[in-house]
Amino acid sequence: MTRLHRALDGIAAEAPLVNLADAAIARHRRRRLVTASLAAVATTVVIGVGGVVLATPWRMVTEPAVQTVAPTTPAVDRAVVVPDLPEGPVGRLSHAYQAKCETDCDDAEWRVVTSDGTAYRVPGALPRTADRSTVPVAISRSGRVLAYYSRKAQAHVVRDMETGAEAVSPVKVPEKKIPRGAILLVSDDGRYLVFDDPQEFDDYPGMLIDMRTGERTMLKRDFEPVTIKDGVLGLVRYLETDLWLMPVTGGGEPVRFDGVFVGFSEVAPDGRTVVALDMTGTPKKKPVLTVLDVKTGKALRKVPTPALPGDLMATVWLSETEVTVRNGAKGGQTYALDITTGKARLLADHGDLFRLTLPGQAN
Amino acid sequence: MDRHDGFREFVLARQQALMRTAYLLTGDAHLAEDLLQSVLAKVVGQWGKLSRGGSPEAYIRKSLINQYISWRRRSRPELPSADVPQHGASYDDATLDRIVLRQALARLTPRQRAVIVLRFWEDLTEAQTAEVLRCSIGNIKSQTHHALTRLRTIAPELAHLLSDAEIEEAAQ
Repeated sequence: MTRLHRALDGIAAEAPLVNLADAAIARHRRRRLVTASLAAVATTVVIGVGGVVLATPWRMVTEPAVQTVAPTTPAVDRAVVVPDLPEGPVGRLSHAYQAKCETDCDDAEWRVVTSDGTAYRVPGALPRTADRSTVPVAISRSGRVLAYYSRKAQAHVVRDMETGAEAVSPVKVPEKKIPRGAILLVSDDGRYLVFDDPQEFDDYPGMLIDMRTGERTMLKRDFEPVTIKDGVLGLVRYLETDLWLMPVTGGGEPVRFDGVFVGFSEVAPDGRTVVALDMTGTPKKKPVLTVLDVKTGKALRKVPTPALPGDLMATVWLSETEVTVRNGAKGGQTYALDITTGKARLLADHGDLFRLTLPGQAN
Repeated sequence: MDRHDGFREFVLARQQALMRTAYLLTGDAHLAEDLLQSVLAKVVGQWGKLSRGGSPEAYIRKSLINQYISWRRRSRPELPSADVPQHGASYDDATLDRIVLRQALARLTPRQRAVIVLRFWEDLTEAQTAEVLRCSIGNIKSQTHHALTRLRTIAPELAHLLSDAEIEEAAQ
């Protein structure tokens, strides 16, 4: 329990004793009486008007999902000196995270870990803005491409980890314009970058950037980018839970799901389903992973996962039936979940890494 | 035996817990009682359906939060019932914290205050909080940050309450 929790507890304990059942029932009855009276008045008026009307003489008539799987061990030995990311190829990435800085930087830094477990500092990747907002990095779903924000370039940089080639985004984003909670996504080929501001009232909209041509597509407000796969951007509107699979060239339209869903996976290899966490009825009811049809909006089946934590987030698909899920809130465990059986196998345990970023995950 | 017995039984068992949430949201005993009573009055008519659904308390809590935000949008002023004590008065540290925190909470926007209560008292996750407030997780992150920053600005003397690792992480 935090000290803030204890202080709030102390305030809550000052709440007076009450006995509200009968008062609430009486209030309900009064309201019903008033509503019934108003309805009677309205009916009378309608009948009266109808009578007049009747009396008148006139009538108005891909690239395949390649998940780099890290060993089930703490990702980095903190006692080991972590080298800077060298020029040239280092191989695909398993994950990224923020670490306390050791030398030549502020108080935090981004690090990446390759699929063979080698960790590198990424000094060029800004971890926080001057006003302490966390600046995200993104790893493509294949683990091949890293995207980060460079303070020096005042723009995003995309790096191919297999060749070492880097490209700077043609769209400048001043550091002070990076909002808290910004989201970053990068496509498998590194061509498309999605940068979004989830703050409802900010005047800086999200955008899809074509790194090759410099073309920008503004994202519709209220929709939050969650995945990018095979040239299709997955956008979610959480208020009513709409999913819009928008081709990077534009088009498509949202489909609405009946319920409250979060933590959407990319589109499954079958091209017509996604997995998301059904939050309807929480916190009393345990959230449950659900397979959703992206054409009709129907919930196809629930996937109970009694052995896993409740706060799960699905990301990339490993096969026709297995999707990667991770702890949504804390803890760095990732699992391969068979959606036909509900059985899960542990893929990696990254411990309690701060700002853990996985391939294909909007961050 | 009448048709409201089930509702009465539920309210008897849970009203104090709900009242604590209402009190944390409003900071005023009368407003809290009025808020909870108005929500319960709406629930009476739907009790059969809600009790069959299995989670009336979660529904009531959600209604409580949204009703509170709706009230505050209509500029219902909050009058903190305790002033910050003068120097020299004798209070233990916990009491002082509560008084200062109540004053500081009163100066948050309704959504910021709701986020503080849901995240750090009800211990809901970001996703659960987003579901209660019907907004995105990104928005919750943003509201949490702004709420904590504002608390730190308004009441720097509360820094020790806001320095736990869990809260620091939520503030990032």
